[in-house]
Formats: sequence, structure tokens, C-alpha cells
Amino acid sequence: MFLQTIVDVLVVAMPLFYGVVVFLYALSFFTESAPASRFKPALLRITVFLHLLYILTRTVAFDHPPITTVYEIMTILAACIAVGYLYIEMRTHARNTGFFILLLAFIFQLASSLFIKDLIEIDPVLRSRLLGFHVSATLLGYTGISLSAAYGFLYLMLYHEIKSSRFGVIYKRLPNLEMLEKMSTNSEMFGFLTLSVGIAIGFFWLPLAFDNVSYWDPKLIGTLFIWVLYLIGIVAKRRFGWQGRKMMIVSLVGFGFVFLSMTLINFWLSGFHKFH
Amino acid sequence: MSELLSIGISHHTASLDIREKMWLNVDETKEAVSHLLTKRFQECVVISTCNRTELYGTASKLPDPSDVKKFLIDFKKATGSVLDEHFTNAIGTNAVHHLFRVAAGIESQVIGDIQILNQVKESFQISRELDALGPLLNHLMQSALHVGKRVRTETQICEGAVSISYAAVELANKIFADLSKKAVLLIGAGETGELTLKHLIGRGIGNVKVANRTREKADELVARMSGSVVDYKDLQEALRSVDIVISSVTSPSYIVQPHHVQSVMKRRSHNPLFLIDIGVPRNVDPRCKKIDNVFLYDIDSLHTIVERNVDHRRDELPKVDKIIEEELNAFVKWRNSLSVGPTIHDLRDAFESIRAEEVEKNINRFSPDDRQLVDIVTKRIINKILHQPTTALKDGAEDQARDKETLLRIHALRELFGIAGHKLNGNEKR
Repeated sequence: MFLQTIVDVLVVAMPLFYGVVVFLYALSFFTESAPASRFKPALLRITVFLHLLYILTRTVAFDHPPITTVYEIMTILAACIAVGYLYIEMRTHARNTGFFILLLAFIFQLASSLFIKDLIEIDPVLRSRLLGFHVSATLLGYTGISLSAAYGFLYLMLYHEIKSSRFGVIYKRLPNLEMLEKMSTNSEMFGFLTLSVGIAIGFFWLPLAFDNVSYWDPKLIGTLFIWVLYLIGIVAKRRFGWQGRKMMIVSLVGFGFVFLSMTLINFWLSGFHKFH
Repeated sequence: MSELLSIGISHHTASLDIREKMWLNVDETKEAVSHLLTKRFQECVVISTCNRTELYGTASKLPDPSDVKKFLIDFKKATGSVLDEHFTNAIGTNAVHHLFRVAAGIESQVIGDIQILNQVKESFQISRELDALGPLLNHLMQSALHVGKRVRTETQICEGAVSISYAAVELANKIFADLSKKAVLLIGAGETGELTLKHLIGRGIGNVKVANRTREKADELVARMSGSVVDYKDLQEALRSVDIVISSVTSPSYIVQPHHVQSVMKRRSHNPLFLIDIGVPRNVDPRCKKIDNVFLYDIDSLHTIVERNVDHRRDELPKVDKIIEEELNAFVKWRNSLSVGPTIHDLRDAFESIRAEEVEKNINRFSPDDRQLVDIVTKRIINKILHQPTTALKDGAEDQARDKETLLRIHALRELFGIAGHKLNGNEKR
């Protein structure tokens, strides 16, 4: 009962916290507000802590990690993005990109909080440890891809401003192009590798979990498509020296497909990935 | 009571050749301050830069400004070429206001010049070493430095490059993460090109290459700075191994063509290439701008950046004026508090409030008959304690020759007893 109350409070509080964090980062980015710049890192840390507490409480209260529905997965993805961004901010001390990255976390968390259901009974197949590893690795992959796309988007905006000699707030506040490219590329490599591990575990686990396995599951095909797209991008980078703008576009297109995979495929195309 | 006088020559009133004649190096500044202290002022600071030579002095009876101007002209042996009309002077609050504007960088030739604050600081230190500062100029210079610091942190008056060479360096910093890992190629030996290279070296650029039609000129430049010389005929090959190219040669046709750049980009794995074309006519074909990861800026686009930054700095002027006004008010308040009358009044108030508080706290320990007596006796004690300092201050104020000494006494008194007015301007924090 006590845990349920905490979950009920945090499910409402999390989007509010993310909303305030995003607002502070926006205020600091667009107006250079000194109080906003001072408080935003502390509030982000508090928000991340509460989010991890929320996930932990939810796992204990409902006796399963929140990986069984798309809205449960969205809250994990939001937390991964926030943690990933916090790690990058602490390593690079570049605090001016937070608005664009944390906006994604806010959107995912808002959607999750609005539609998440408290499920106690879940399909026994979802209690597999291998599935836990599969989902964790895939989610880390999606996090890397999301961060890579966000930094790619910032790179393209700055690239455009420098190329066209139109120097606005983006030019003034963002870190340099090389740093943005490095952040995007590193996130992409991390995302690609963890997604590869996630897919590999999924292929291994699938015949163990189901008797009649179809490899034509729309989610599976969608994820493989995304993986191939990134593979092409990475090979093109190595073989043909693709850099900068081209690679950032690949990153954004990849993220577009991830988004489609999480929305279109999850909601309208059923398959074995749909457990409820 | 000491008065403040400022006299100066600046880019507003005199051309460069006149200003050069009045420029004082450190030794000359020390000598001038010492001279001015012996006859004309009680306190003195001289600020001398390429754009201005100004002095600030205090005295109970200010000297005739024309006499001070004549001294400066004679001191620099500039009689005949530097005239009285090249100088401006201000007294009291106007002089304070002027110094604050100078320290804020808004009197500089380039609005928001960050160098001036260091120059004001150096002048302040020279006068301090010479023991040429009393409470008034000491506080004035500290207030001026505080104005400069506030302006730099609270406004954007110093932001954005306001010269072609700095604009190019600023852009390089927005493209590349670490200039120490980058290489630059300077083509030609034009003044702006060389200046841009100097700025890049100042920012720690990793590798410098120079190419010139006349090899000797390139050798000479490399000897003065650092790096290596590239044969002019090997330019295309050199583009492969550098990240920044500064081009400023006189050539009837483009020396860098799109097909050169395209082929170079393939060989350099499409790493970003920043082309700074400051040649007139242009040295780099503008079509190069369309190539991916190539950033081309010519003299016009760099000018546009500079103009935009200057406009932005001008937009910040109202904020700077507000800071100057606030600090000027604080200074005037502090200055007024240094008068003998208000100081004696504040001192008596401070003692009286302590007496009244203690009497009130302990009054019940006395019988009703004694209470009035306690009040009278304690008041008498306070009067006796304050009699000597009050008389000493009043005597000092009547003797103009002891003006500096009186100011020091007032300053010390206010600081020691924490009397109102001393803390008003937050002097202790500076």
C-alpha cells in the first residue's frame, strides 16, 4: 500500500519535474538567466534520482520490472536519456545542450505517465532473465540512438548557421561543431553496439520462449532495419569517409525509424512483441 | 576638503600622432606622478594607453587645469604640436563619472575593449607603489575597477569579435574543438592575414605553415613566428594536411578552385576545412562554400560579423550606463560620509545607540530614584570620550594643509567603529 502510494505520487510528479528541468534549461539557453543556470544541474540530479526511485518502487510494487508495455518502456527510456545526458554533461561540462536532449526525456515520460497502467498479472514469458537482458540492452541502444540524433540535430542547426553566416542564439550558446559531432558519434556507436547485443540475445531467447516462432514479427523487422541502417552509416564512415553533415543526417533518419518503431509498429501492427 | 580633478587627452580630442606624443611608458608615468605630487596634488594617478593619457589628482585647492596641461606638454617635450585644446578636464562628480566610463570600456575606440581595465589596474598599482594614494583616490580607483568587473559580468558589452582577425579566430573556435591539434596555412603576407595568424598562435594552434610567392618573405615570417615554409607551387598538396587556410594574396584569378577543394576533401577524409579569404580581389572561388564540411568566409562576410557584434555591444550601453549610475551614487554617498560634520554626527549616533541600549537593558537594576541619574551619568561619559576625537577632527578640518590627514582619520574612524556610510558602498568587499 505504501509502495503503491509512492508510485501514484511519482507517476504524476515525474513529468512535472522533467517539465521544470526542461524549462530551466530552456531559460538558461535562450535568456542566459543566471538563477536558471545555477539551479538546473541540481534539479536534474534530483529528477534523475526520483526517476530511478520511481522505477525501483514500481518494480517492487508490481513484482516485475517496467518492461512489459510500451508505456512502461517509455519511462525507462526517459530515465536512460536523462542519465546518459547527465553523464555527458558531467564529463564535458557542456551544459547548453540540455534543453534539446531532456525535451525528449520529458516527452517520453509524459506519454508514459498519462497512459501507463498498474499491471500485477503479467505473461509468465516476461519473467525470463534473458528477456530482461534483451530489453535492457535494446533500451540502451535506443538511448544511444536518441542522444546521437539530438546531438546530430544540434550539429545540423549550428552547421547551417555557420555556413549561412546567420549567427543567432544557436551559434552563441552551443559548443563547437567538432564536439557536437563527437558526442553524436560516440552516442551512436554506444547505441549500435548495445542494440546489436540486444538483438543477438533476442534471437537466442526467441525459440526458447515460444514454440511457434515467426521471424516476421513487425517489431523485429523494424529493429533489424534500424540496425542495418546504422551499420551502413558506420561502414560508410569508415570506407568512404562520411563525416559531419552526412553522418548527422543518417543519425536523424535512424532516430525517425526508432520513433516509428515505438509508435506505429507498437500500436498498429501486432506481433509476438505485444504481450497484452 | 579635497577636490578631484581629471585632465586627459584621448581619441575623441586628438589624432594618433598627437596621442603618441603624449604617451607615457611606466618609468615616465612614475616620474610624472612624483612631479605632480610635489607641487600640485595630494593624490595622483596617471593612466596612459595608445588611446588616452589621463591624470586624476586630488588637492584641497585644485591647481589651474592649464598649468597641469602645460606641465604634461613640457614633460613630454611636445610644446607646439600638442595644444591646450587637445585636452579635456572635469572636476568632482564629473571626473568620477568619466573614470567609470573609461573603466567600463565605453570611452574606448572599440566599445567594450577589455584591455582598458588592466591598464587602469596597472596605473592604480603604480600610484600605490609610489604612495601617491590617499583614501579618496584609493576608493575611487577601487570603485572604477569594480565598475569594470560588473560591466564585464553583468552585460555583454565585451562579447563578440570586433576586428576581422578576431572574428576569424572566433569562427575557428566554433568549428574546431581543440586548436592545438589543428594546422593552419597562411598564403601571402598581408597585414590582416599575419594578425589572424598571430591570434591563432595565441590560441595555441598546433602547426603553422606559410606559403608566399616570394620565398624569402615566407622565411622571414616563419623566423619571426614559428612553423614551416611551404613552396607556393605546392599549395594544393598543402591543403590536404591543414585545417585552416588564411589567404591574402593579390591575384587576378582565384588561387583556390572548387575542383581543387573537392579533390582535397576526399583525400583528407572530409575533415572540416575552414577557408579565410581576406584577399581583395578574392583568392578563393565562392563556389567552394557549397562543398560539404568546407567553411568559407571572405572579407565581406567577416565584416558583417564585426558590424553585427559592434551593434550588439551598442545595444548593451543602457545596461552599462545603469551600472555606472549605481556605482556613482554609491561613491558620492561614501564621499559625503567623509565630511567632518556627518562623521561626528554618525559617531555620536553610534555611541548614543550603544548607551541607550545598555541603559534600557539594565535600568531595572536601579531604584526609580537613581534611574534618571544613570541616564545623565552615562551621557556625560559618552560626551567625555568623544570630546577629544571631535575636537581633533574639527581642528583638522579648519587647516587645509592637513586635509589628507583628516581624510585618513575619518576613513579610519568609520572603518574602526563600523559607522554608517562606510559600509554603504560595500567597500570592504572590494
